[in-house]
Amino acid sequence: MASAARRGRPKIKPPRRHGPDVSIEKTWADLANNIREIQNHNAPNLSFEENHRFAYNMVLHKQGEMLYKGVNQLVAENIDHLANTQVVPVFPSGASDETMQSQEAEMLLKALRIIWDDHISNMVRLGQILKYMDRVYAKSADVPEIWDVGLNLFLKHIIRPPIKDHLVTAILNQIHFERDGYVVNRSAIKGCVDVFLTLEDANGLTVYKRDLEPALLRESQTFYESEGLKLLRTCDAPEFLRLVESRFESEDSRTHHYLSRNTAAALRQILQDNLLTPHISTVISMETSGLDAMIDLNKTNDMARLYRLFVMVPAGLPCLKRALKDSVRRRGEGINQVSLGLEGGDGEATTSKSRPAASGAQTLALALKWVQDVLDLKDLFDKIWKDAFSCDRELESNLNEAFESFINLNDRSSEFISLFIDDNLKRGLRGKTDTEVDAVLDKTITVFRYITEKDVFERYYKGHLAKRLLLGRSVSDDAERGMLAKLKVECGYQFTQKLEGMFHDMKISEDTMKAYKTHLSQTVAPGIDLSVIVMTSTFWPIAHPTSPCTLPLEMIKTSKSFEQFYLSRHSGRRLTWQPSLGSADVRVSFKSKRHDLNVATFALVILLLFEDSGPDDFMTYEEIKQATSIVDNELQRHLQSLACAKFKILKKHPPGRDVDPTDSFSFNADFSSSLQRIKISTVSSKVESGEERKETKDRIDEERRHQTEACIVRIMKDRKHMTHNDLVNEVTRQLATRFLPNPLNIKKRIEGLIEREYLERCDDRKSYNYMA
Amino acid sequence: MSDVEMAAAAETDWVRVTSDDGYTFLVRRKVANASETMRDMLDTAGNYAEAIARTCPVQQRGVIVEKLLEYMSFKAHYAEAGPRDEIPVQELMERIPPEIVLELLLAADYQNM
Repeated sequence: MASAARRGRPKIKPPRRHGPDVSIEKTWADLANNIREIQNHNAPNLSFEENHRFAYNMVLHKQGEMLYKGVNQLVAENIDHLANTQVVPVFPSGASDETMQSQEAEMLLKALRIIWDDHISNMVRLGQILKYMDRVYAKSADVPEIWDVGLNLFLKHIIRPPIKDHLVTAILNQIHFERDGYVVNRSAIKGCVDVFLTLEDANGLTVYKRDLEPALLRESQTFYESEGLKLLRTCDAPEFLRLVESRFESEDSRTHHYLSRNTAAALRQILQDNLLTPHISTVISMETSGLDAMIDLNKTNDMARLYRLFVMVPAGLPCLKRALKDSVRRRGEGINQVSLGLEGGDGEATTSKSRPAASGAQTLALALKWVQDVLDLKDLFDKIWKDAFSCDRELESNLNEAFESFINLNDRSSEFISLFIDDNLKRGLRGKTDTEVDAVLDKTITVFRYITEKDVFERYYKGHLAKRLLLGRSVSDDAERGMLAKLKVECGYQFTQKLEGMFHDMKISEDTMKAYKTHLSQTVAPGIDLSVIVMTSTFWPIAHPTSPCTLPLEMIKTSKSFEQFYLSRHSGRRLTWQPSLGSADVRVSFKSKRHDLNVATFALVILLLFEDSGPDDFMTYEEIKQATSIVDNELQRHLQSLACAKFKILKKHPPGRDVDPTDSFSFNADFSSSLQRIKISTVSSKVESGEERKETKDRIDEERRHQTEACIVRIMKDRKHMTHNDLVNEVTRQLATRFLPNPLNIKKRIEGLIEREYLERCDDRKSYNYMA
Repeated sequence: MSDVEMAAAAETDWVRVTSDDGYTFLVRRKVANASETMRDMLDTAGNYAEAIARTCPVQQRGVIVEKLLEYMSFKAHYAEAGPRDEIPVQELMERIPPEIVLELLLAADYQNM
């Protein structure tokens, strides 16, 4: 030592010997005695220093082994003593009463915890005074420290048959008791489980894992197997789900509060496998309380619970998807069924022509109802999806599929949706704010999205839009354009090109009319004010040739005047008049007073026949027909609106609702009304009759043929060479935004193109070349 | 007393350390805890007679006990020193009279510190 060296030769005294020189046997005897005292809770009367020194001396005098073994034995004896005095007396008596059993189990668990606590506090004290032995002897002799010895001895002497078996049974009994809905002393169970969790056997496996958990899982399995069947037998679906969920919760809280966290997953699995998975399909399709009933009764909470439970198990979501799809489809088919009722009525109307007007209004109402029902259904399921199914993406696409399938099952869905929009834009939107209008249209668009045959929709929409524009029926130009913009977003520029063309024509016509008015002011104006809309024939869905009509001279003059004006501005164009689409204002003198009437052009032509007639002059149907050369169905329509509707300008003989070719008519000079201006709306069949539908269908088919051919040529021009299958696939893909082409039709179109030498078949008979 | 208060008291209250030749030293419990033997002795969980009396008899001469306590204070004081703080070990060693080193060594072993 450096300091020692510096101080010269310091005198180092030898240390004194510790303690009095008494024999080792005496030391051990005293120490053993004291240890027993410690085990009898008398530590406060003992000197730590004295006992520590006893142990220290024994280790110092090479008697560590004797000390170690002696302590071992003392501890073992004490544990046995504890077991015999505290645990064995509370062994279950084998009583059959459940409450008794539970109480006994609780007592046993408590007793174990008591002796464990006792043992542990003893071991803490012993560990303190024997620390020198742990440090010096245990290490060199390679034996476990006294604390571990304590645990091992407890394991060996307590956790053994029969005590162990009684303990495990007691815990299981308590859990079972709690599962049955009784209150148990959780802390007693936890006390015992904690001991099990602390003690490890030689392999490092806790007693809990080794002895308790397997038994617990076995027990749970049997319990929940029968529980599942029992619930299924006694509960309706919401109750079943509620109870199952509470089972999940209670098991979770059980593992959380007095079992090991590690068991949670296994228990959960048991619950899923036994309580949930085998029963989901039964529960979801329960007649009066399953998913359908929940949807009907709007039980959001129950459905949310159902969703929570079903997503837990792998079989759950597919099952829920199936049930949802069925439900949507069933409801959708119900809605379709209602609209089918109209089909029958409509057929009758077309065959007998008995009451076309009533039937028309009825069918329109049904069409509107169909769309409204579909929208309501969509709303309902959207709400459920949002509130109960936490916006699950998979379910969303599943719902969409279901909607798509039933909407397309109704082959008139396109017409109905277009009618619905038509109806809304015509009158429904009055008094609604812009945002409300937008909401209605947006909703309609979501339904529109489901239609696969978008070209059919386009055709109907075009027709309806044309009528709205020409008759000035549209409520709001903004709403019209808004709708058009939405369609453009959905289907692209091409889809709305012609529709936009129609709007464009309307605007151009307005300008033309201004110019015409200026022109008239400089020249001699004809007797009638004329307003003309010039329509580009490719944009507008107007039938050619036009329905004929013999105009009175006055009107012919007026129209000629415009014709001249127009053709002088645009040479090389051809104007065709469409009187069937026009309307006219006419002032009529009745007996009481004069009224301004707004009537269709055809109606005006008919009215003018009566211009000079007296009150008793009759004209027969045939006479009117000859004078006007209007075709039968148009003539009937207009006569009906003049003679049979709300305002009876003409008298029909004999009176009645429907017009027959044998009827005759006279001017109703007695007509009176409080209104000055009267609008005679034409009785119109807005929903197509069977014949019209067939015509539309033919036209659509033809259009599809053209589109398919155009598409084939477009693709082949690009690729030059393609196999048959590739070509068909590509065509299908490109046309899918408009309609679903049938492969057979594509094949026919390809053959047509080969005939016309756009394509040639290659030698391998499976592919085609493009011929420039 | 709550556990926190107990812990706080255990750090700051005073305990008595006696030598076998009649000297008595008063030190903070924190200092006494520097010796594991003393800590166990005073442990209220073990609750031996010494823990109740808060007195640790050390069967050594006063001079040895004094040196033990000096080292224990030193240890307790620097126990929380960071790795960059300088710990004057050398000075402490120079303050140990060579005459008592063997006795001190045995005592330190007994005190497990």
